[in-house]
Amino acid sequence: MNEPDTMTESTCRNCNTPELKRRDFLRVGSLSLFGIGMGQFLAVQRALAAAGIGDATDRAKAQSCILLWLQGGPSHVDLWDPKANSNFRPISTNVDGIRISELLPRVAKHMDKLAVIRSMHTEEIDHPEAIHYAMTGHRQNPAMQFPALGSILSRELGERAGIPPYVIAPQIDLKLYQDHFGAQFIGAEYEPFIAPDPSAEDFQLPDLSLPKSVSVERVEQRRAFRDLIEKAYRQKREIAEFGKMDIFTAKALEMILSDAVKDAFDLSQETEKTRERYGKHGIGQSALLARRLVEAGSRFVTAAGYRGVNPWDSHAQNDSEHRDKLAPPLDQALSTLLEDLQERGLLESTVVIAMGEFGRTPHINPDNGRDHWPHCWSMVIGGGGLRGGQVIGASDERGAYVAERMVTMGDLFATIYKAMGIDWEKTYMTPIGRPIKLANSIDDKTGAPLEELV
Amino acid sequence: MEPNRKKRHSMTAGIGVLAVLCVIGLMDARGLADDPSGEPTLISLRFLPEGAALWGSGAAQRFMVLGAYSDGLERDVTDQTWFILSDLEKASIDAAGRLTARADGELELTAEVGKVTAKARVTIEGSDEQPPFSFARVIGGILTKRGCNAADCHGGVKGKNGFKLSLNAVHPREDHKWIVEGGEFQVLSDEASGPKTPRIDPEQAEQSLILLKATGEAAHGGGRRFETGSSDYQTILEWVASGAPYGAESGEEPVVIDGIEILPRESVLGPDGRQQLLVTARLSNGRREDMTDQVTYKSNNKEVARVNADGVVEPVKPGETAIMVRAAGHAASARIGVIAQTLANYPEVEGYNVIDEHVFGKLRKFNIVPSQLCTDAEFVRRVCLDVTGTLPPGHRVREFLDDPDPDKRNKLIGVLLASPEYVDYWTYRFADLFRVSNYGQSGSKYAAMYWQWIRNSVAENKPYDQIAMERIAAQGFDGPSRHYYHIGGELPKPPNEMAEQVRVFLGRRLDCAQCHNHPYEAWSQDQFWGLSAFYGDLTRLGHLGIDMVIIDDPAGHGEVGAGQQVIHPRTKQVVLPTFPNGRALSAAERVDLRGHFARWVTEHPYFAEALVNRIWSIFFGRGLVEPVDDFRSTNPPSHPELMALLAEEFKTSGYDLKHLMRLIVQSKTYQLSGLPNDTNREDEMNYSWHRPRPLDAEVLFDAICQVTDVYGEFGGAHNQRRAVNLVAPDLHPLRFLEVYGQSDRMVVPERKNEANLDQALHMLAGSTYNEKLGRDGGRLDRLLEGETSDREIINAFYMVAYARLPGPDETGVLEAMIAERADRKEALEDMVWAMMTSREFAHNN
Repeated sequence: MNEPDTMTESTCRNCNTPELKRRDFLRVGSLSLFGIGMGQFLAVQRALAAAGIGDATDRAKAQSCILLWLQGGPSHVDLWDPKANSNFRPISTNVDGIRISELLPRVAKHMDKLAVIRSMHTEEIDHPEAIHYAMTGHRQNPAMQFPALGSILSRELGERAGIPPYVIAPQIDLKLYQDHFGAQFIGAEYEPFIAPDPSAEDFQLPDLSLPKSVSVERVEQRRAFRDLIEKAYRQKREIAEFGKMDIFTAKALEMILSDAVKDAFDLSQETEKTRERYGKHGIGQSALLARRLVEAGSRFVTAAGYRGVNPWDSHAQNDSEHRDKLAPPLDQALSTLLEDLQERGLLESTVVIAMGEFGRTPHINPDNGRDHWPHCWSMVIGGGGLRGGQVIGASDERGAYVAERMVTMGDLFATIYKAMGIDWEKTYMTPIGRPIKLANSIDDKTGAPLEELV
Repeated sequence: MEPNRKKRHSMTAGIGVLAVLCVIGLMDARGLADDPSGEPTLISLRFLPEGAALWGSGAAQRFMVLGAYSDGLERDVTDQTWFILSDLEKASIDAAGRLTARADGELELTAEVGKVTAKARVTIEGSDEQPPFSFARVIGGILTKRGCNAADCHGGVKGKNGFKLSLNAVHPREDHKWIVEGGEFQVLSDEASGPKTPRIDPEQAEQSLILLKATGEAAHGGGRRFETGSSDYQTILEWVASGAPYGAESGEEPVVIDGIEILPRESVLGPDGRQQLLVTARLSNGRREDMTDQVTYKSNNKEVARVNADGVVEPVKPGETAIMVRAAGHAASARIGVIAQTLANYPEVEGYNVIDEHVFGKLRKFNIVPSQLCTDAEFVRRVCLDVTGTLPPGHRVREFLDDPDPDKRNKLIGVLLASPEYVDYWTYRFADLFRVSNYGQSGSKYAAMYWQWIRNSVAENKPYDQIAMERIAAQGFDGPSRHYYHIGGELPKPPNEMAEQVRVFLGRRLDCAQCHNHPYEAWSQDQFWGLSAFYGDLTRLGHLGIDMVIIDDPAGHGEVGAGQQVIHPRTKQVVLPTFPNGRALSAAERVDLRGHFARWVTEHPYFAEALVNRIWSIFFGRGLVEPVDDFRSTNPPSHPELMALLAEEFKTSGYDLKHLMRLIVQSKTYQLSGLPNDTNREDEMNYSWHRPRPLDAEVLFDAICQVTDVYGEFGGAHNQRRAVNLVAPDLHPLRFLEVYGQSDRMVVPERKNEANLDQALHMLAGSTYNEKLGRDGGRLDRLLEGETSDREIINAFYMVAYARLPGPDETGVLEAMIAERADRKEALEDMVWAMMTSREFAHNN
């Protein structure tokens, strides 16, 4: 391929930034293997964005997104939207006038970095359908499968520095649900890279390190055997798969031999203090891993650290579940993540989201639990240049229905796309020619970015 | 068209033909490859259609004349033909072959090109009668011909600009309503939105919106479709003026189109060829009618062939495409092949059975020469993997290769079809298709019951219609009924279950019609819900934690399901079980609903086709229809006659799976070599060479275990050590199987078997490709114990992995590569690694 000169002598007309082309920065990104760190890369890129060079994505502040995934459905009246029908007290936050539940004291100190949306309205009331809806913005449809947000972002934004653009850690517990997080018709290259549980003692990516008995030299010897053995077979046939397998093999070898990917996933490179600051529980360590990954180049990381099938699904003993098991790790992980991203200068380029697939009933059921509630619920979003320290929308007195400014999943998706410089009105064509909205709202409408935020 | 022109053509052709006729007299038919001038010569003529029965005032039929030439091609010679009618009072014919009826009677039509002739009989009836009006045919025909109801216009799922028409006018009642009543179409509701302004105006017919838009008088996104005053305009104008009837008001049944046929169905064109297509409608009154001028034509691949509005096909570049024809309410297709040049010496290719007759017959027409037959070594590995999912053991390979019996391939096929591995393998295949899993059946106990039913069915070679009956209509507490028992005791939802069974057993995907009429097919949403209602009585008796019984109970005594009334999402009405032809079950018939549904499925003509295609695709890596369960009129089979014939054969054999498989693997088509030749290298869909197919995850894993002779991933008894024998794969997660695309069986499996990054990582660093190689007690370890030479070890592994020995130049290099390494065992392990990760190993080729 003919590469243009990587850097020209001339300078940009209105500033002192050397005039660089976008491609050069992609190249710088890949140079991180050879010692140019992500921080420098981003600094150059920011300078470039300020100069207005590059495409929309480069100009956008947000480069990546972390989702703290609270599967099962957190109780909004007990967390983000305190109401009289909750047994938890509201507390004030570092933003005047915004109060959240006493279960989130540490997050309350970072409210300036987050916007609370209290008027989410979605259409599905049971887990499989609602998880699908939250990940894709579409209602499940037997005629086709929709691509998930992370896969779309991978496709729109591309890979950086050889790091998998879309990662889920750990795997969603039920395979049936895991399927809702996939790329579907848009292509296998946008499937999520699935990592094991980062909070496990022996956390390590599968198949990324050669067995002790196999040296790099031995890999070469093995390949020499294969070249010989396969030669006749391959010579006589022209099959596209051969080429694909060769590319994947080269890529795999690069991943195994270079340290970039391994380092990005290597939590042992963090200090014990940092690991404890996030919390040595599933959500804490998966949030920490997410930070490492976006720092290294990932685009969308789903930190799915709450283990078990639908961990937030508090049909029984809602209050003690939230108080004793569920909210404290979230409080710790989310507040630390926001602090840490800010300290590292990554908050401006990283959208942070915490949500589940729906909220929970305003009333308490006979098992002292709360059941599924999609009609009105809350979530938080911040970072990535979005304006924090505000509340968007409002629920009614009991948190049952939207009282002000309904926000749909399509609106949320559109907001994220806009923050990342992606055209939210875009559609993808399925193989049979059905157009699929990237930001699908209810009643077949396209979602609109929340102007309060972006 | 002027007669002069046609005469000129026939004169010039005539001279050539005369010369040929002399030659024919001297030679037998086989010797007729070329005439001395090198130009292909005309041998015989035939009419398409072969004859015609015309009915009604002004009835017309277009005739085409095809000439068979000495180069094996059949060419459209209509424009070189003299047409001669035996009776000029009764009909007339123009130069293009369009015959118009004048009076009742019979006559003979003769075609003449030089001295070669052909004859056709024509009968004419009712030449003074007008057929009764039909909105579906007349107005639907115009809307189709003019593209108004095409998928990218008003025929799209959402219609256009509020105006919705059914694609190809497949649902004329609805089209009539939207035109006559007006209103804006909404996809998910039965109600029109917006004011209901009719799109016609009977008082001032020429002011009707439908005419103003179509002629471009009013702004129209679709532009002008026809001129004011054109015959289509006049037809619509008169229809509106007469009150816009539907056509059944008088009580007289309107004549509707039952189906359309295209002639020729298959045609091969040289670089300068052309082909007129003829379209004939089969009418509900039993008559046939020429529709060539009243349909739209579209080439599925314009890079191969183009078609114009009159149905004339012209070649673009070599390849194969379907030409789609759409008429009111119907679609059909013709296959067109384009070849670069005709082969001077097409070899004699002998077939073994009917499969070869069709496959080789088509290859002959397309000027593609099939590859040689595969070697015995290739055959033994291929057929063992395909029939039993197992590599042949090394000693059996040697036995087979050494056997001098000329019938040894058929003998081996017989042995394999009767082997225990056949039962293992096809149990796995059907367990995949029928979705056996721990999750799906709510626990390993029920998954095992369901799996055992499949295994028994395969072992006794149960007729496939019976298998389908049992799976669909299962009642009580038995194996197949566990299919209806999901995790947590959930019952499947009627629409999902119906659509799955139709997809599995009829090869059709109806799901689109759940929410709206199918966008490309004649499946309506009403039909979808009518069929779904056959699952309305599905009920579960018992409580969670005990063995529950599945029944159809209209009274709804069950704990769950209880007469799950099926509600039409658009009309919000309860839907009665109704067959697609509109017949609802009467009150008395409404017992054992799933039994009715199962009979409908198994008696449907699609049933045999769908299974034949499924099995065929397993043996060839590509269905006659592809994707394998997506039969559509817009997705025609590559070999329609073969498909029909195999389906019939399967049916008359009593739905005997082994019979069908035997037919396939005995064919020469199946036994072709994997090496292409110069004529067939580009062939993707005609089975002219044996395309290597990646092995499925489970089969590949078992093959690696077999070659290394190291098992143990799944624990348990001997017969459970293979991945194909896993009852519930979700109880035995294994990274290898996952990265190679094992199905989780949550939905009807669609395996892609594409190379991916995880496979490459696993090959380099994964346990399967590292820990088995030299394990104690494994094949390599034992061979090393036995003081075997490197050459013997190389040969042993080649035999079991590839069913062949290494090439002479390979052996020496391999020996040298091993000899130069300090650690012999390591070197041999690396060789085995290389074999296991090679494409030749991972393929069935």
